[in-house]
Amino acid sequence: MSEFFHQYFDFNIMGAHFSEILEGFLRNLLLFAFAVVLSLAFGLFLALLRQLPGRKFMPLRGLTIAYIDVFRAIPVLIVLFLISGGIPYLNFLPKDIRIPHWLGQPDPFWYAVVGLTMVYGAYMAEVYRAGIEAVPAGQREAARSLGMSHGQTMRHVVVPQAVTLIPAPMLNEMISLLKETTLASVIAYSESLLLGREVLAETFNSSAVMLSGLMFLVVVLPLARLVDYLIKRNQTKITRGSHIEVA
Amino acid sequence: MAETMVSLQGICKRFGKLEVLKGVDIEIGRGEVVCVLGPSGSGKSTLLRCVNLLEPPEEGEIFIEGHDICKGPGSGTGAESWELDFVRQRVGIVFQQFNLFPHKTALQNVTLAQERVLGRSKAEAREKATELLERVGLGDQLGQYPETLSGGQQQRVAIARALAMDPHVMLFDEVTSALDPELVKEVLDTMRELAEEGMTMMVVTHEIGFAREVADRVVFMDGGVIVEEGKPADVLENPREERTRQFLGLVLDR
Repeated sequence: MSEFFHQYFDFNIMGAHFSEILEGFLRNLLLFAFAVVLSLAFGLFLALLRQLPGRKFMPLRGLTIAYIDVFRAIPVLIVLFLISGGIPYLNFLPKDIRIPHWLGQPDPFWYAVVGLTMVYGAYMAEVYRAGIEAVPAGQREAARSLGMSHGQTMRHVVVPQAVTLIPAPMLNEMISLLKETTLASVIAYSESLLLGREVLAETFNSSAVMLSGLMFLVVVLPLARLVDYLIKRNQTKITRGSHIEVA
Repeated sequence: MAETMVSLQGICKRFGKLEVLKGVDIEIGRGEVVCVLGPSGSGKSTLLRCVNLLEPPEEGEIFIEGHDICKGPGSGTGAESWELDFVRQRVGIVFQQFNLFPHKTALQNVTLAQERVLGRSKAEAREKATELLERVGLGDQLGQYPETLSGGQQQRVAIARALAMDPHVMLFDEVTSALDPELVKEVLDTMRELAEEGMTMMVVTHEIGFAREVADRVVFMDGGVIVEEGKPADVLENPREERTRQFLGLVLDR
């Protein structure tokens, strides 16, 4: 039993590498911050493309649906490899794009931001869609019969209501995105898991990796509780008859 | 009859295989109040929603103020073959379920489209909205969200919201059917005032009393066609058609 504890919870190793792992974890959070903002925006953009009305937008709607389906189907890890292992060698692109070092961040950081945004944009588009479709049709009819255009109707009437219906599923996607920032370790972004694995390779001890996991736990657990709270709150609203559940 | 405001000719509407309207003709003159009665499923709400193209008809012609709102010759099928903007700048509608914007206050419900569609300034829109909400008796509820208003109050906000766009014609789609009985009167009173001011109105309703008092003409529909129409006194007191008699018997016997 003590062997087990030594392997996973060696406080000497945890202590010795704590600040290093924490620094790595802050890089996870930085990656998350970029990816979450971009995928929320990109997801909304995709969801809105998908809602464009009429026959003339059919091709665009089709492309959007195809994009969403494809990127929901491909593992994130493969997308990350396709980007980090391919983009640098596309010599027709300018060097700043092939090997980006914007804002003082290394290129793996940007590959990860792009890859996570491409995939999570597709996930989030589906969550937005659930929200948009849950807004009663009468809202759209009312706005349209007041003469508002499709765009005005979406912007001022549908989307503001849709986003209040989906905080719980949206937060779930965010939690999952936060955890998947660890995938950036395999494309050499030195976040907490990568640093933990280096310790593992040197010492044959998993405590540093465990430490990285514990840091996620500390951040994610309260968020998971928040999701539960939001779902519950939404249900109370339903019993009051004023909102629709889509979680 | 006064100048024709709305003219529907040979309107047909299908939902899949279900034929809801089977060639309906109707004319409404300026300032006229026409009440459309009929059992549920008779197509009366669909007819009303054809007028402002929420349900564009498959066949038939629609003229608003003498203007053919079909693009090109003959009628189109999809929403794209109709002049939506022309219609919606002139025709206002009030729904059974109010359809107020729940994330906006009463005042904002009435100002939103004024600012976005008509390009009125904030101050202008606000002034107009305040005036209209006072007129429907809600001058003290400007900052309330729909959730906190009664059904009758919500429906009056919805009427003010439609009027804010300066419509030439108002459509009412069973606007009192979702209301508690004691709230019906305040909404009907508002509509009565509107009629007295000379608004052109097409009213789908089950309120026979309102039709008798306020309507210039009553139209009775069943099975997707107009069965009978005429002055309220004639249609309601001495219906010619058996089907009308039957319906009125059931409604008035309650």
